[in-house]
Amino acid sequence: MKSRRGIAFRIAAPVLASVTVIFLFIFGYNYFDARRIVVREVEESARNLAAATVNRMDVVLGKVEKVPRNLAVFLEASPPEDERALLKILRAVVEGNGDIYGAAVAFEPGLFGPGPSGYAPYFYKSRDTIRYADLADESYRYVSQDWYQIPRELECPVWTEPYFDEGAGNIVMSTFSVPFYLTVKGKRTFAGIVTADISLRWLQEIVASIRIEDTGYGFLISKNGTFVTHPLPRLVMNETIFTIAEARNDRTLRRIGRDMIHGKSGFVPFQSLLTGKSCWMVFAPLASSGWSLGVLFPRDELMADVAALNRSVLVLGIIGALLLFAVIVFLSRSITRPLRMLAGATAEISGGNLDNPLPPVASRDEVGDLARSFESMRLSLKRYIADLTETTAAKERIESELKIAHDIQMGILHKVFPPYPDRPEIDIYAVLDPAKEVGGDLFDFFFLDDDHLCFHVGDVSGKGVPASLFMAITKTLIKTKATRGLDAHKVLERVNEDLSVDNTSFLFVTLFLGILDVRTGRLQYSNGGHNRPYVLRASGALETLAGTDGIALGAVEDLSYESKTVVLERGDVLFLYTDGVTEAMNPAKELYTEARLETELAARKGHPLKEIVLALLERIRDFAGGEPQADDITMLTIQYNGAPESPRS
Amino acid sequence: MEIRKQKTEKGVLVSVSGRLDAVTSPDFDKEMEGCIAGGETVLVVDLQGLEYISSAGLRSILAVTKKLKARNGKIVLASLQSMVKEVFEISGFSKILPIFSSKEEALSQL
Repeated sequence: MKSRRGIAFRIAAPVLASVTVIFLFIFGYNYFDARRIVVREVEESARNLAAATVNRMDVVLGKVEKVPRNLAVFLEASPPEDERALLKILRAVVEGNGDIYGAAVAFEPGLFGPGPSGYAPYFYKSRDTIRYADLADESYRYVSQDWYQIPRELECPVWTEPYFDEGAGNIVMSTFSVPFYLTVKGKRTFAGIVTADISLRWLQEIVASIRIEDTGYGFLISKNGTFVTHPLPRLVMNETIFTIAEARNDRTLRRIGRDMIHGKSGFVPFQSLLTGKSCWMVFAPLASSGWSLGVLFPRDELMADVAALNRSVLVLGIIGALLLFAVIVFLSRSITRPLRMLAGATAEISGGNLDNPLPPVASRDEVGDLARSFESMRLSLKRYIADLTETTAAKERIESELKIAHDIQMGILHKVFPPYPDRPEIDIYAVLDPAKEVGGDLFDFFFLDDDHLCFHVGDVSGKGVPASLFMAITKTLIKTKATRGLDAHKVLERVNEDLSVDNTSFLFVTLFLGILDVRTGRLQYSNGGHNRPYVLRASGALETLAGTDGIALGAVEDLSYESKTVVLERGDVLFLYTDGVTEAMNPAKELYTEARLETELAARKGHPLKEIVLALLERIRDFAGGEPQADDITMLTIQYNGAPESPRS
Repeated sequence: MEIRKQKTEKGVLVSVSGRLDAVTSPDFDKEMEGCIAGGETVLVVDLQGLEYISSAGLRSILAVTKKLKARNGKIVLASLQSMVKEVFEISGFSKILPIFSSKEEALSQL
């Protein structure tokens, strides 16, 4: 099931989602742009730092280089007279240059000095004193040393690879070797090498002093790639950048190392050998020695500011989003508050309570319109229900009155059968079934004197209350007009006279009236436009009483009626009815018809009257099926049993 | 019930078809009221298409008859079908109303 979501949520969610997307976009852009700027600045300052450091070192190295260079020039210009003069100069050089640890002049063997195996006087500092040594030693064989051979072959000054000097107190040293030449027999000939040893401790200190953030560091590699300085002591003088690259199978590192020893400079991503962190590395060559300085800048630490800024921005963004959410919720709740009030009030209305006025909504927006519409709907409903209640009450009153009218109408009709238990000459049974509460059919019978039974069946045009009133009038009129000795048609004429005068409703009544002499069975009758009754003879024959050409009563004034006479035999049954019987209708709109009535009647010869009437009523209802009864149904049966054998007492 | 009215030289020809009973007679009354109020005094009611007439229908016809009579007018009926004819005969109305076998005959007799 879908959970119910309020309008506040439906407004807030998409707005917040949009704001979040926009914020994240801005945040992302800001983050990457800040990084880009930081990287650019880092590169610039890194290059500056490297250049400055390299410069510092080159200055010192350049200063050191000058000493053997000058000495070589001096030796070439004025070769020493003897060994003593040379030693004096050499000692002065070592003494006068604080940066220099030691210096030597190594002659090509046989060119100068005491022995044929060569001469290489060397002064060096040992604690606070200057010591002397001759390097021309069988075991040392200085002519095969790198510091001698390489400059000799290259014919240019050379810085040797750094080396570890145990004799000098376990310090890393490097030697600058400068070749010098003499003219022998008019030919410029290689004469030897002037060297100056320097301790690289100061250089290590400079590099070690490079601290970038917490873990950034500098390192220096020689022309071979050997680590001269590095925060990891085990690397210094033991490993080269290539052996590390080999061990790690790191092609990038190998490429970087190659660039470094080839005197290139650059700014590249690098993984710290110390911490394994991702870094940037700047590298630059020392112009003097061809060595290369590398400085590592730990990426995350440099980005710490950016990251911190981002965190701040993120926090601010979240706070802003929460504030926005609060504002939206407040706004939408203030918009929907009257709606919720309305919802509550209308729920009450739907429960049927229309008396509580809806809460007043002051807003002039759509919600206000809705509230006003609801209020007018409530008032309309209330009015409507009041009207309906009134109408219903009126209807109920009318219905109750009709019910009473029905009871009154039925009350004026005979209900008790047999009506004359002490008159064996006749049996009577009748039924009147109104289509509505009250109807326009009527029947009645009464003795005019001891021997004459007056009876009639009538049908007022139309149905309902008007017909029932007319029926009551007719019945009363007949009772008044039918007097002893009066012919049937005279009764009709008099009744018609009264009914037709000022008959503004144009109602009329068809009426059959008969006067039966119960002693003789002689029946005098007159028919005012009514269905002709039947006589079911005791023999079984079914006769229709001849008409008397009378017109319905009440239609026209001053009418004359006729009477006819028929004689009933013992056991004959007179059957009177209204057109509600023959015009009863079934769902197919077919009428019951006289033909059906006659068949049913003929089939019931000799049956008791009540049985005949009730059976017919049932047959008529069966025929009608579900079709509502359209007209009042009335049947009146009179059986003549003949005069009693013995005179009545 | 369906009522069609057609003016002729001699009066209004009113053709009634369907059923004329308690339900439809108020409509019939209203139509006839309209004719009489419009000054018509001669009505020829053609009942060719009338299947059924109840006593309420008879009352409506009687009402028109009496109203026209008060205005020195006249109503004639034509083409009564068997059931309708029987009702008119039984009630005796056939004796107080002029009835013709066809509307042509009715018109020619006016």
